[in-house]
Amino acid sequence: MFFDILVSGLTAGSLYCLVAVSFNILYQPTKVFNFAQGDLVMLGSMGSALLLTQWNWPWWVALLAVMVAVGVLTLVEEWMAVAPVLSRHSHGTGWIITTLAVAMIISNVVGKVWGVEPIVVPAPLPFSNDMLNLEGINISSYQIALILLTLALVFGVDWLYHSLWGKAALAVAEDRDAALLRGIDPAAISRWSFAFGGAFAALTGYLASPVLSASTTLGGILLLKGFAAAAIGGLGSTRGALAAGYMLGVAEAACSVWLSPGYHNTVILILVLSVLLVRPGGLVSSLEARTV
Amino acid sequence: MALVLLPLLFNGQFILFMATQALVMMLVAIGLNLLTGYAGQVSIGHGALVGLGAYTTALLMKDLQWSFWLSALAGIFVACGTGLIMALPALRLSTWYFALVTLTFAQVVTDLLVEWRSLTHGFSGVVGIPAPSLNGHILSPVQVYLTLVLCVVLVFLATRQLVNSRFGRGMVAARDNPLAASASGVSLWRIKLLAFAMSAGIAGLAGAFYAVQKTVITPEDFSTDFSIFFLLCIVVGGQGKLLGPVVGTLAFFLLPELLGPLQSWRLLIYGVLLLILMLFAPQGLMGLPFFKRWQKRNIVDVDIQFDSAISLKPVKNLDLTIKDLHKHFDGVKALQGCSLFVKAGRIHALIGPNGSGKTTTLNAISGFIRPDSGQVMIGTTDVSSLSPYQVAQHGVGRTFQTPKLLGDMSVLDNVRLGGFMNEHATAFEVVLNLPRVRSDDLASKVQALELLKFVGLSSRAEELAGELPHGQQRLVEIARALAGRPALLLLDEPAAGLSMSELDRLAELIEAISKHGTAVLIVEHHLGLIARISQSVTVFDRGQVLAEGSVKEVFKNPEVARAYMGREGTGDSM
Amino acid sequence: MNMLLNVQDLHVGYGHVAVIQGISINIPEGGFVAIVGSNGSGKSTLLRALSGLLKPTAGSIVFGGLLISGETPSKIVRSGLLHVAEGRRLFKNQSVKDNLDLGLWGLRLSTVETAARYDRVYSLFPVLHERRDVRAGILSGGQQQMLALGQALMQQPRLLMLDEPSLGLAPTIIDQLFDAVVSLRQEGTTILLVEQMVERALQIADTAYVMQNGLIIGKGPAAELQGSELVRNAYLGSFEDTH
Repeated sequence: MFFDILVSGLTAGSLYCLVAVSFNILYQPTKVFNFAQGDLVMLGSMGSALLLTQWNWPWWVALLAVMVAVGVLTLVEEWMAVAPVLSRHSHGTGWIITTLAVAMIISNVVGKVWGVEPIVVPAPLPFSNDMLNLEGINISSYQIALILLTLALVFGVDWLYHSLWGKAALAVAEDRDAALLRGIDPAAISRWSFAFGGAFAALTGYLASPVLSASTTLGGILLLKGFAAAAIGGLGSTRGALAAGYMLGVAEAACSVWLSPGYHNTVILILVLSVLLVRPGGLVSSLEARTV
Repeated sequence: MALVLLPLLFNGQFILFMATQALVMMLVAIGLNLLTGYAGQVSIGHGALVGLGAYTTALLMKDLQWSFWLSALAGIFVACGTGLIMALPALRLSTWYFALVTLTFAQVVTDLLVEWRSLTHGFSGVVGIPAPSLNGHILSPVQVYLTLVLCVVLVFLATRQLVNSRFGRGMVAARDNPLAASASGVSLWRIKLLAFAMSAGIAGLAGAFYAVQKTVITPEDFSTDFSIFFLLCIVVGGQGKLLGPVVGTLAFFLLPELLGPLQSWRLLIYGVLLLILMLFAPQGLMGLPFFKRWQKRNIVDVDIQFDSAISLKPVKNLDLTIKDLHKHFDGVKALQGCSLFVKAGRIHALIGPNGSGKTTTLNAISGFIRPDSGQVMIGTTDVSSLSPYQVAQHGVGRTFQTPKLLGDMSVLDNVRLGGFMNEHATAFEVVLNLPRVRSDDLASKVQALELLKFVGLSSRAEELAGELPHGQQRLVEIARALAGRPALLLLDEPAAGLSMSELDRLAELIEAISKHGTAVLIVEHHLGLIARISQSVTVFDRGQVLAEGSVKEVFKNPEVARAYMGREGTGDSM
Repeated sequence: MNMLLNVQDLHVGYGHVAVIQGISINIPEGGFVAIVGSNGSGKSTLLRALSGLLKPTAGSIVFGGLLISGETPSKIVRSGLLHVAEGRRLFKNQSVKDNLDLGLWGLRLSTVETAARYDRVYSLFPVLHERRDVRAGILSGGQQQMLALGQALMQQPRLLMLDEPSLGLAPTIIDQLFDAVVSLRQEGTTILLVEQMVERALQIADTAYVMQNGLIIGKGPAAELQGSELVRNAYLGSFEDTH
């Protein structure tokens, strides 16, 4: 029982962590929380599902295609829905409504084109969704792969932020003017972050489909859970996202055993509010001094 | 006084149904406009609040045979109460966190409506909700409609009352310039809660009407899309404008008719519309020049005697004492044991080279920074651990290095914002327009006009504050600080950017202010101004007090000259 | 003598406020120019206009023969004009080495050249080498200022502009800092130093401009301006008038 909860929790948690990481990537230099992110993940999921099951593309081609496509789409979103609002009021929140609008557009377009039927996607070879029984623990080879891959991706993203580009993104997040004075172009960094964050979201969607089934409703669900993981973990922290993702996944799995799945969101809401009240910066909070 | 409401007296069932629907939506939109348009908190969960009101009403009427009126009242309380459970913690977070929490909340409500089958009948919803009745007589759809019209009118008037009162000014300040709001004694959290509570209650009321009109409600009726409709209404109409939600809802209802064959695409079209509006017409319909004429402007029609000097007297005469303040930020020792004393009615200057800790001290006094140790006493009260709005309420007014005014509000209203804590009518009284409210309102207008006359700007009372030149903005900010009738006035580099004549005016002003009993602490670089008006001076250097005394003593001190112009030789190393 | 920087009749303002109201400055190649004046005189605003953070409302800025007024900050940095801003604007959440790495942004250098640049900074400020993995936020004020300077040096600027480097620092540290600046000048970097500490600045500069209320009220060889009435009045003057 315990291990079932753990396996299920870590699997879901890995996905929530990845969604949170894609939020973080976009958020860092821009301070914008993309309400359309959940639907970008959904696009990656639906897109790859269609390419794999309908057109039988090889898995790596499908993956590359959705990553590029969604990355470009996210760039368009930045250009159309985010940059104009930010240039008007650099501290405004009009982007909440514009990115929300983009989310609506994406989910409705996909919904119109495909409908609400979920697509069942098999795990990419050599992995499968068949349960193995390893010393009493029920776990599929895909789940193992997913959990390990998430860890690798999290550390990969961290490592990326140690590159010069990553440092520049962190610099822009910390002090835009100082970055300008060192020759860094914050607008270019923001665009690249959006493109990267979008591609990462598509990757997450691709990885999610064997586990969650690709459907158009995925977007709304992942927006909330991704937000919860990012907020609890601390915005901008990949390790925080990992810890928070696992925490949420396991909490949900435990909740399914004792309560019905309908209480998932309630548990999440309570968790988010309790953590944020005690530590507004999240579990791995970086300092946030009050300034005038 | 432009309240346009056209009762639709048609003889078509369908049109009546649509009109009733439209009014229900309008009710919610008016409430949401208060929260999102005025107070600046985007909510994507109001659909759930409507649902809570609807379900409460429906279940009480159907299962317990309560009357509509009591059930609706219960609906209001349930919506408001449940919403507050979420909002109390969530409003302490930043705006977009709040938006996402409302989204989660909406999802939770929908989930629980399905989960608690025994109470709510789950997926199938509540069927056969009876019509409202009065004294045993069942109301016809027309009568329900008219009741709804009455409610909309009342809610609109109540909202208008609130918006034109100090609470409305406080909300706009919380949205556009939280620092100015805090410095004027507005508790940001409380004012947002007020906006939220009202909008939630209104949504609950709308839900009650929704339930009896549709007679069948299911959890699916109150999805996220439903919440987004209300956002759309206020964006179309114009956020933060009284008639915005009215105009927006009407426009929104005409839309499906215009769409015709594209009906099934309407959600997509709404999304595109929302995006286009936010990008190209963020002010909505009410922002169009045609509609701007309809907006009510605060007409100054009051006859005032300008000899009353009460406005300029502090509520209480208090001294400022600072003892041994320490503060360090990230390795930099900003304040290393500073002490200061300003007696009521005196002008004291705080000078020193850049980086010596002057602004840090002002921020510590006004509560924007918490010192690591030491005391800040206003009179006999230690305010060093209080938040900015609390410090303001203890009798501290301040200006900022760059004037923090609300650009889209009139000069008069900006000054009136400063008087927030001296008006005492509660929100409840404001909504009901009780006599105390009207006398408060008049007093605040009179005081603001007197203050504007005092600083020489009464001719510009009606203009938008953002359109004034810098020097005049500075004077408006001083007037605003004085509107709180502070015991202590903190001025942060008021001379910056002023012309010679403006400087003269400023000096006269500050001297007049202190003559009325206010203690004045002025941080300034313009030594000429300091020399002219201060009775005593403290010189800071690198976080410590270097010298203090009368102007003459301090300026003759060679250490002071050296601190400003450069040290020779070596001193202690850090 | 070539003018590396030529500013003509510059006007800069924020919104309604006109801060700089017509300034002309010339800095020769290899020179050391100081700009002094009390707070509010517009010194920092001038540097911000030169580095591109603010767009001038009128006037021209010519650097190395190119018109740079109105250009983006990154272009200006690439042309060799570096601004070390007031208050040590570093990336405090990152390490000393990270900050120096960022100093190389936009440059494509060979490994040898890159190593040489780090060497130069580390030999000028050995403490930065010792503390290279330390988070910049916990360095002392003086060390932070050295890092800010080092960061700018990574670009090997033709003109280095320093905005009040002495701010909040102890006298011995200020000495060290100014010594470093002088040695940079001797290596050929042109320096523009904005300082509130007049006497110090005039001791090490060749020529100086005195600013007050957004205008230049005096200029000349630094040695002549030291201890002069003009300078004293610019800072403490009006007091003398009213007493």
